[in-house]
Amino acid sequence: MVLQDLGRRINAAVSDLTRAPNLDEKALDGMIREIVSALQDADVNSRLVSHLRKSIKATVNLKDLSPGINKKRLIQKTVFDELVKLVDPHAEPFRPKKGKPNVIMFVGLQGAGKTTTCTKLARHYQTRGFKACLVCADTFRAGAFDQLKQNATKARIPYFGSLTSTDPAAVAAEGVAKFRKERFEIIIVDTSGRHRQEKDLFDEMTQIQRAVRPDQTIMVLDATIGQQAEAQSKAFKETADYGAIIITKTDGHASGGGAISAVAATHTPIVFIGTGEHMLDLERFAPQPFVSKLLGMGDMQGLVEH
Amino acid sequence: ISGLFRNVVGGKVLTKSDLDKPIKGMEEHLLKKNVAREAAVRLCESVEKELIGPFATKPRPYVISIVGVNGVGKSTNLSKLAFFLLQNNFSLLIAACDTFRSGAVEQLRVHARNLKELSEREHLGVVELYERGYGKDAANIAKDAIAYAAQQAFDVVLIDTAGRRHNDTRLMSSLDKFAQFAKPDKILMVGEALVGTDSVAQARAFNQAFGKGRRLDGFIISKCDTVGDMVGSLVSMVHATGIPVVFLGVGQHYGDLRTLNVTWAVQMLMS
Ligand SMILES: Nc1nc2c(ncn2[C@@H]2O[C@H](COP(=O)(O)OP(=O)(O)OP(=O)(O)O)[C@@H](O)[C@H]2O)c(=O)[nH]1
Ligand SMILES: Nc1nc2c(ncn2[C@@H]2O[C@H](COP(=O)(O)OP(=O)(O)OP(=O)(O)O)[C@@H](O)[C@H]2O)c(=O)[nH]1
Ligand SMILES: [Mg+2]
Ligand SMILES: [Mg+2]
Repeated sequence: MVLQDLGRRINAAVSDLTRAPNLDEKALDGMIREIVSALQDADVNSRLVSHLRKSIKATVNLKDLSPGINKKRLIQKTVFDELVKLVDPHAEPFRPKKGKPNVIMFVGLQGAGKTTTCTKLARHYQTRGFKACLVCADTFRAGAFDQLKQNATKARIPYFGSLTSTDPAAVAAEGVAKFRKERFEIIIVDTSGRHRQEKDLFDEMTQIQRAVRPDQTIMVLDATIGQQAEAQSKAFKETADYGAIIITKTDGHASGGGAISAVAATHTPIVFIGTGEHMLDLERFAPQPFVSKLLGMGDMQGLVEH
Repeated sequence: ISGLFRNVVGGKVLTKSDLDKPIKGMEEHLLKKNVAREAAVRLCESVEKELIGPFATKPRPYVISIVGVNGVGKSTNLSKLAFFLLQNNFSLLIAACDTFRSGAVEQLRVHARNLKELSEREHLGVVELYERGYGKDAANIAKDAIAYAAQQAFDVVLIDTAGRRHNDTRLMSSLDKFAQFAKPDKILMVGEALVGTDSVAQARAFNQAFGKGRRLDGFIISKCDTVGDMVGSLVSMVHATGIPVVFLGVGQHYGDLRTLNVTWAVQMLMS
């Protein structure tokens, strides 16, 4: 699971501290140091880590705390809040409306899991009563259309694509126009993988976006990504202005801290996480329950409310 | 002893299976005569070697298999490797042993077709695809592909495999069987430059997945063009295993494969 190790280590650091006989400055520093290295090992962006360290130090100021305050609770709550901040940009994700076409375009780095996830998402909406379909605007990768076609067929979702065209914007426009006319409610457009270092590929993304005018653009990020997460997700944000993130491959062993750093870098919410290679391996994401679960803190909800 | 070999027809080119029985008999005979086992086995082996015709056993093609986690660039870099070998005039059979991921077979079909056209145009080596569709056991297909390649005298078999998470014990343990069936001469793992600290666990897990005494032979580090100077995953993977990097992937086209030294890479792969 994503951040599982991180959760365990942070948890241990916090309970070690709160169990210590002398809750002094030195013990607090020790805990913070352990949390910091846990975050670094989890690929969390280095700048975010140092910010988080300062925040904890500032909030849990042992000298100035009035004697009546429950220090243990305060420390737990501060760590929890800081972690929630890391995954909660306080931005409302897009919600598709029934009875009208909602065009959703997928973007992301090569091999992140876009094609797999767009079928999962189409199926997710389909089972919730939306009329959903898929458009393949990846005319570059070998076998891309076959991949989408096979997935769509398995999930019984209508699809559109071309085996011969080399113009993704044209294919996307044609597919979306066709499905709009047929009154589909969720039209998901899959695009090929790209990265910020290739300007042509970024221009192509803009062209596709202009051609299909998406209501929502989603960036797909691989949970294993390291320190490149910030630069790449920012560049995609500037060019495609995506409104949501899906993190894939969270069933792996990776900590996911890189992908999660993209949230803070771009102020964009995570909406789903991918938990496997199969069609049903998609879960909704919500920051607070996620962090509670991560830290094994069932009672955290109570703390957060006051 | 001559009696043991009476049924072996004269004039015919002998194969190992023709000789299995008489050689076994000879070994037993020598043991009975108080020849030590070690010496008896040695003697039998050299007799066998003398008798088997030079063309009796078809030379086994050189087998290279590509492994790694999901989406890192296995199939693409396999195709780049194919292009590299074609430029060095080898004849290749590409074996589509990812029988799981949708479109995986078609992806290789497109690459094989492109490479074939390119080879014909530029008079490079010969390339063909071996495929058996989806759902079947990868290790069996690999074995059949190698037998086919031996029969058709291909120089090299390149085996594509399905992506798998290194913490998925079921999928990882199937690599053991795969190695036993395909007996790859080289196992190359594709790791991507984009990956973070997970690279260490990935490299270690794959390095240990092929059963006793079998390790990875090299890494292909893909997507180096996407990370600028952040090539840390390369360092981590080599550090974790001591296995060398053979190639760097620097883009999505056939030519986007780099090696420090071509002669070195060819030797590394083919020796
Ligand atoms: N374990 C696991 N594998 C996943 C998940 N999502 C996708 N994959 C796998 O990741 C690999 C790449 O997925 P794709 O959907 O082809 O990725 P993509 O972003 O469309 O790739 P390009 O189009 O080449 O850029 C495939 O092997 C998928 O099966 C997930 O949540 N968990
Ligand atoms: N920029 C860049 N992209 C690459 C490189 N190598 C592969 N890719 C891209 O990465 C994506 C995934 O490549 P694949 O070869 O399908 O990966 P795979 O490991 O076979 O994926 P699965 O079989 O699904 O596990 C494709 O879009 C490739 O074009 C590289 O060196 N640089
Ligand atoms: Mg794709
Ligand atoms: Mg592949």
